[in-house]
Amino acid sequence: MEYVSPEGLRLDGRRPMEMRQIRAEIGAVSKADGSAVFEMGNTKVIAAVYGPRQVQNKSQQMNDQALVRCEYSMANFSTGDRMRKPKGDRRSTEISLVIRQTMEASILTHLMPHSQIDIFVQVLQADGGTRSACINAATLALADAGIPMRDLVTSCSAGYLNSTPLLDLNYVEDSAGGADVTLGILPKLDKVTLLQMDSKLPIDILENVMQLAIEGCKAVANYIREILLENTKQLEFRRGV
Amino acid sequence: MVGLSLGEQHFIQGGIAQDLRCDGRKRLAYRPISVETGVIPQANGSARVRMGATDVIASVKAELGKPSLLQPNKGKVSIYIDCSSTAEPAFEGRGGDELSAELSTALQRCLLGGKSGAGAGIDLSSLVVIDGKICWDLYIDGLVVFSDGNLLDALGAAIKAALSNTGIPRVHVAAGASSDEKPEIDVSDEEFLQFDTSAVPVIITLTKVGKHYIVDATSEEESQMSSAVSISVNRQRCICGITKRGGAGLDPSIILDMISVAQHVSEQLINKLDSEIASAEAGDDDES
Repeated sequence: MEYVSPEGLRLDGRRPMEMRQIRAEIGAVSKADGSAVFEMGNTKVIAAVYGPRQVQNKSQQMNDQALVRCEYSMANFSTGDRMRKPKGDRRSTEISLVIRQTMEASILTHLMPHSQIDIFVQVLQADGGTRSACINAATLALADAGIPMRDLVTSCSAGYLNSTPLLDLNYVEDSAGGADVTLGILPKLDKVTLLQMDSKLPIDILENVMQLAIEGCKAVANYIREILLENTKQLEFRRGV
Repeated sequence: MVGLSLGEQHFIQGGIAQDLRCDGRKRLAYRPISVETGVIPQANGSARVRMGATDVIASVKAELGKPSLLQPNKGKVSIYIDCSSTAEPAFEGRGGDELSAELSTALQRCLLGGKSGAGAGIDLSSLVVIDGKICWDLYIDGLVVFSDGNLLDALGAAIKAALSNTGIPRVHVAAGASSDEKPEIDVSDEEFLQFDTSAVPVIITLTKVGKHYIVDATSEEESQMSSAVSISVNRQRCICGITKRGGAGLDPSIILDMISVAQHVSEQLINKLDSEIASAEAGDDDES
């Protein structure tokens, strides 16, 4: 199947290096400590952060750092064909782990010993790149909760189809069988915290694809920073400063 | 999970006794309701309803299936509710399953009528494509995004809104197929059938706190309840289903009293909901 037309357009009309439209909103869940909605095209996720608070399960308490927990779940209606999966299947357990590790890398956990931070992400609509969208939503929610972080982690995926590197794959492109690189970076420190790839790629092409994904992550980071700034301005306005 | 001190508990109970609740409402007043339709483009119909801080999403997906042998001339509808862990950390893992199951059965009882399909809010025979062979299966999924009390009423309202947003593709059956063969069908991409949702009831939960009962309780107020009765009432003021929850027993005369109050309140709620749905749909059309 042709994923990039001779004119250089993808199935949804994007250019190879174009991202889907991103939209974010802070404060979607009113009583959580921090929350956010993040959309990348048709993919839409909600993240809520509770904490830092007392550790619920005393045996998990750590004396030198905070405990970070994460749960990823998909709504029954999120996929094209309706599915009814029990919570905690292998895929969601794996994604929960990935998100937890990625976020833990940026949270300054040593500042909050004896406490726990819960991150819950809920996928409302899945159209490829749920992992990235979840990480971006979680970053925003953590920032909204005022949790100290080294940097904003942002994530974006890139792939390689029809000998063209493509940024931000959607579901059709994702399931096409080409390589899919999901990358998470700390944009200010310029460090990679998450890197996953399936399928195979020659090394020199991987370099290009990764570079493309890094550009995508940076674009997301700029957008997230804008949203946070806007939110802070509004808070300032409401306080009458 | 609400942790309230003794003083706070007395404050809530005293307020309800004096017909002035913590947020300034009277006993029989609802919080502001907002409806947004078409939030899940992948579904046949969807809606997001907010009642105060309570925030739920309902979606309707239709799939072609086979009617059950006992009711060959009726489609099938099922309701599943999922409590997201974003709503409350306690719902993490399997924590929300019990509440999900309770809400699902309560909604099925209130909206779908008995096992025979009699008394359903939706006209089940309109879902049949070919008698005894093909029908639409409707899957109604609810998701609790945030819970601040009164989930059942909010979910009922969201399902009503999602159903009125639902378009079922028109199915053309190839003529001339013999009766025992598998009939050829053609699902249209352009023509959609809308549901008549005027008969879908609304659910009104009356929560008894102390000697009085209130509608649309917040989670703080629910923590003080002795028992709650959920009554579903349709536009004709007929009772479509009743569920009682909570530990304490109720005097039968109070239940009858509650029912008449629910009938009275339902009228305002249905009108409010209908106008919200209409304006949400109108807004939707403008965008597209």
